[in-house]
Amino acid sequence: MRNAQAKFDLQNRSLFDKMFEPPAVGKMAPVAKVVVYSFLAIWSLFVLFPIYWVIITSFKDAAAVNQGPSYIPFLDFQPTLDAWRINFTADPYCDMAAIARQIYLLAHNSVVFLLSPVVSIAPMEPQICKIYLAFTNSVVISIISTIFCVAVGSMAAYALARIQYRPKFGNIMIFVLLIIGVIVVTTYAGVPWWVSSAVALALFFFLARSIGRHFKMALGNGDILFWMISQRILPPIVVVVPLYVMFQAVGLLDTHLALILLYAVANLPIVVWLMHDFFANLPIELEESAQLDGATRFGIFWEIVMPLTRPGLAATTLLILVLNWNEYLFAVFLSTVKVQTMPIMVAAKNTGEKGVLWWEMCAVTVVMIIPVIIMSVLLTRFISKGVLLGAVKG
Amino acid sequence: MAGDAEKASVKFDAVQKSFGNVKVLEEFNLEVQPGEFLVLLGASGSGKTTALRILSGLETPSAGRVHIGDRDVTEVLPKYRDISMVFQSYALYPHKTVAENIGFPLKVKKLPKEDMESAILDAATQVQLEPLLDRYPRELSGGQRQRVALARAIIRRPSVFLMDEPLSNLDAKLRGHMRAELKHMQGTLGITTIYVTHDQIEAMTLAHRVAILEKGVLQQLASPSEIYNNPANLFVAQFIGSPAMNVIHGALDGTDFITHGVKVKTRVKGSVAKAVAGVRPEDCSVTDASKGTISGQIYTTELIGDHTLVTVNWGDDQIVVKAHKDFDGKQGDAVGVKLPPENLYVFDETNGERIR
Repeated sequence: MRNAQAKFDLQNRSLFDKMFEPPAVGKMAPVAKVVVYSFLAIWSLFVLFPIYWVIITSFKDAAAVNQGPSYIPFLDFQPTLDAWRINFTADPYCDMAAIARQIYLLAHNSVVFLLSPVVSIAPMEPQICKIYLAFTNSVVISIISTIFCVAVGSMAAYALARIQYRPKFGNIMIFVLLIIGVIVVTTYAGVPWWVSSAVALALFFFLARSIGRHFKMALGNGDILFWMISQRILPPIVVVVPLYVMFQAVGLLDTHLALILLYAVANLPIVVWLMHDFFANLPIELEESAQLDGATRFGIFWEIVMPLTRPGLAATTLLILVLNWNEYLFAVFLSTVKVQTMPIMVAAKNTGEKGVLWWEMCAVTVVMIIPVIIMSVLLTRFISKGVLLGAVKG
Repeated sequence: MAGDAEKASVKFDAVQKSFGNVKVLEEFNLEVQPGEFLVLLGASGSGKTTALRILSGLETPSAGRVHIGDRDVTEVLPKYRDISMVFQSYALYPHKTVAENIGFPLKVKKLPKEDMESAILDAATQVQLEPLLDRYPRELSGGQRQRVALARAIIRRPSVFLMDEPLSNLDAKLRGHMRAELKHMQGTLGITTIYVTHDQIEAMTLAHRVAILEKGVLQQLASPSEIYNNPANLFVAQFIGSPAMNVIHGALDGTDFITHGVKVKTRVKGSVAKAVAGVRPEDCSVTDASKGTISGQIYTTELIGDHTLVTVNWGDDQIVVKAHKDFDGKQGDAVGVKLPPENLYVFDETNGERIR
């Protein structure tokens, strides 16, 4: 039994204590240090090595790849720019004029998007340098759909965090029955889909306001939230074929608008869930105080709530941006020529006749990674802690 | 600068509020005079904050009407009620500077910039914040944040001021200081103020009148001295005073209060089988065991500084007596306690009503 009163002596400790006990407050024990830093080192290897591997492979040729793993440029293999040339300069359309025209189209389309579907988006010219087309497509689609999704999603999340909704269960059942009716009428009676939908919608409002008043059972905000996230439970592959048919029916196949809308809707539940948490954690007194001072609901949202949830907003935006940037499944079904995105370019390097062209695939992948890294660095500056400090407690 | 304060009266007319099956306010009637400093005092869950929130418009009453001045504001949006509120948590906007926080009520009114700046400076001067206008709330101490919240509330010159436990997040010393400042400010501005607190000292020191709430029912509405000297019922009597009023269980027979066979003279008359006698610690005195109205053993003594609190056992009750600071009785000593009839309050134990 050790004497609890014994004086602590840094030098005269047992070996065990020296290894496992921190020498002072705020420092780490030697063993803990070794364990923690080795884990960190191994982990960063896991994270960084694939990136290194992709980069060096993009400078290999077919021979260097096929001769087995080689790791260090100039020592293990002779780096070449072949893969890059094939993707960029070897493409006969990849001259400066074509790229300039593509940039013009990009700017034009981002303005036109606001007016669509009134004005149709000009197609990125498919004969133009393929990788450039894919890159601009990816940029346009992921940025616009992210902005749209985060804007709509955070407003929905705010509403769910601050307003109590009591949707009647009966009304929801009416809605579901009407949708079934629309499907039946459209498929078997040949009524145009927009006619049946409009009639059903009108009928729904009429029924909800008449019969709906007598329904008792109601759902709450928690149910709405769960319903939203349940949209993500379904594997995307299951809905891809119906989506294809739908977009075909409205004539939006192979358009930017189709992917923008689809990405925005598919990611909406994630935004609502993440942002709902941030909004719910905001002290409500701030909003009540602003309300008493005469601010409007939208004013409160814009001037008080949004600045305070900026870290959450930045994190959510980054997540959605990356999800959109990497999305493959929907893109491969809904685009044919004009709106192919970067992931499809990557996958296209897995050719039928020549096998996987690893070196070319890696060159495309590097181009795909760079914007994500830039966006992450830009947005993490906003993901800082302590924004709420000084709001309500001492 | 917004126009000078229009002193407004406030009236709760049979206001009720329930959350689901829980009744928070029952038939709440209250009239506040123009320019009055009224304190709503009660324990947590007494409905005092709910009453304040109903007046502010953040909560709607289940029944009853609310008036500010001669206007019925029951359904009026909060921003049209011409009130401002200081929250317990201050509710400062952390991303805005002190100046922007104070100026926010004017900013939403879209006041010209020069007017706004002079108004901000004016309000900041009143609470001694001028040197801190460019700071952010996180860079301020608790007391300074409190001042910012006050300045933001006074800048509009509202007709009614609402305060929801504004001092409870401050440490004891600062609280005393801010209390004096608040009282001074209210006296200077003369704005009708409704102040919610659970702290009886704040209530006694600040209020023109105190309204004591318990379980959603108004117990007594009177000036602080009236509340202290003439409590309407047992709850008020025990709630106000520190240490709390002593209670002795017994029965009232004629003018005698009988407790454990001892007859104590009172100034009231009646016949109540289960009665409670209340007497404040400073009204009793410790004597020799033979000379007291009642006598018992000392449970403990506490030296406070200018006086000593002596706790004496009497049956199942304990009687606290405020004695001289040099009192030297020991635990277990037998002493007598004198209960002066003129300071003895008698209550009916079954309903807590005062017997007069």
